[in-house]
Amino acid sequence: MQEVSDGPAIETRSLRRTFKGGVEAVRGVDLTVARGEVFGFLGPNGAGKTTMVRMLCTLLPPSGGSATVAGIDVEGDPAQVRRRIGVALQEIGLDPVQSGRELLELQCGLYGIPGGRARTRATELLELVGLSDAADRRTKTYSGGMKRRLDLASALVHSPEVLFLDEPTTGLDPSSRRTIWEEVRRINEAGTTVFLTTQYLEEADRLCDRLAIIDAGAIVAEGTPQRLKAEMGHDVVTLALDGADAEATEAAVAGLAGLERVAAEPDGLVLYVEDGAGSIAEIVRLLEAGGIRVGAITVSRPSLDDVFLQATGRRLEGAKEEVTA
Amino acid sequence: MNELVLLARRSVREIARYPESTIPALFIPLFFLAVNVGQVSKTFPSTTPFLRGQGYVAFQLPVSLMFAVATAGSGLALVTEIDLGYFDKLLAAPIRRSSIILGRLAADLVRGVLGATVVLVAGLAFGAHMQSGVLGAVVLVLLSACFGVGYAGFAILVALRTRNVQATNTSFLLFFPLLFLTPNFVPFDRLTPLMETLARINPVSYVIDGLRSLVIEGWNWDKLGYCTAVIVGLIAILTSLSLRAIANYDR
Repeated sequence: MQEVSDGPAIETRSLRRTFKGGVEAVRGVDLTVARGEVFGFLGPNGAGKTTMVRMLCTLLPPSGGSATVAGIDVEGDPAQVRRRIGVALQEIGLDPVQSGRELLELQCGLYGIPGGRARTRATELLELVGLSDAADRRTKTYSGGMKRRLDLASALVHSPEVLFLDEPTTGLDPSSRRTIWEEVRRINEAGTTVFLTTQYLEEADRLCDRLAIIDAGAIVAEGTPQRLKAEMGHDVVTLALDGADAEATEAAVAGLAGLERVAAEPDGLVLYVEDGAGSIAEIVRLLEAGGIRVGAITVSRPSLDDVFLQATGRRLEGAKEEVTA
Repeated sequence: MNELVLLARRSVREIARYPESTIPALFIPLFFLAVNVGQVSKTFPSTTPFLRGQGYVAFQLPVSLMFAVATAGSGLALVTEIDLGYFDKLLAAPIRRSSIILGRLAADLVRGVLGATVVLVAGLAFGAHMQSGVLGAVVLVLLSACFGVGYAGFAILVALRTRNVQATNTSFLLFFPLLFLTPNFVPFDRLTPLMETLARINPVSYVIDGLRSLVIEGWNWDKLGYCTAVIVGLIAILTSLSLRAIANYDR
């Protein structure tokens, strides 16, 4: 591990990136990530997550504002930033011609780790990510999960201060996803700050100490997952319509005490109420009075998707397809 | 320097592991050599003055050598790497961006030496004789390989600029006119006036002429000098442009 610099792991001020044609991918982002955190960047496709990561990894120059990573300005001294960060981008960065071991040894060499130590480090990392048995096979024969784990290992060869993971579990099956989560936790416990982008609510909820929700290039909410959900200040009651008319059902419960908002979903109605459990009896009474039979009534605490909905006015794309690990 | 050696070694390993991307590229030059020689050997017997007592295969050999070394292999490997995301991984590493290009070009030199050697051996088997001897054969292979390095710079430039596999793959089409507007079938003075003018302003002509002189004439320092100057110039210009392209990549 290199000497750790002072200050926050990541700090951005009014960070912007505008692409040719005037597309504003990132619009004035202010962000502070403390050392040792797992920080999540949650947002749908096209929200600006990858552009943000690429700027912080020195792969893309900002159009405006400033950013420091490990205390170093990304534009002022990009080479020094690169020595202190590990990067696993959305596109798995593997050379299909090399074996897993060769790839890690090369990666060690590129970070100035000489031959003997490189071989030892490669063996350690292959063990860490459970690829010892496949170490000498070419990476093109690896499954998606194996590739992702090797990519993660290759980002760790030099024990970086800050690890950037851009959608590390996209496209993986639940088992592979769980393995990646465990590895991210282990890496973080060893002292590495993790900056993780994701479009999976559960991933953000389970893995991140703090997170920011990004939409259309701007941060719309930021905090710990618990605080963000608590700030919603209400419970969520979901009515499974099971053939009942949505408009009639909404009209029937309109007079519910403590009802803040109603959101329609394809297969149900979502009621945001002050006290979910305390409202059940009243909801049942109102539905009976209106002659409406629904399939099921469930009460839950707000999810990050509800936070996202409140912040952006729509649900996070793909949230319904999320696979529970 | 260490990173350059590591990246060059990786690219050479790629050549060894993917012979299917190198061997078919040798088919075209060997095919041209056999067909051209077969078709015009009677027209140009060894008594033809510009052949200096050799068969037409000796005259055609340099053209086939240039076909053998001018491949878009490195450009294709690079654009594939861009597609797969490994290129970003390299850009995010604390290395000079130029090492990524120079590592590829080092592998092109190896590829060029191998390809040129195969074609030279075939040419000798078809009856060509190296007037400049064994040392001349070594120089012939090295100059051909260096020309391949220069050409690789062009394919790499196309790869970096377009980031498109098809564009990179077809980049050799631009090379075709340059190779044919030359004294590739007959010497300068046997071309029509217009073709001679075009051939004389085409720098590739002097590469062919120089390489050919090693086979047919022996050590013609003037021709070798022009040939070397064109190859060095080609490498300098195209490599510089490639290095600039990678320095400005996503900048």
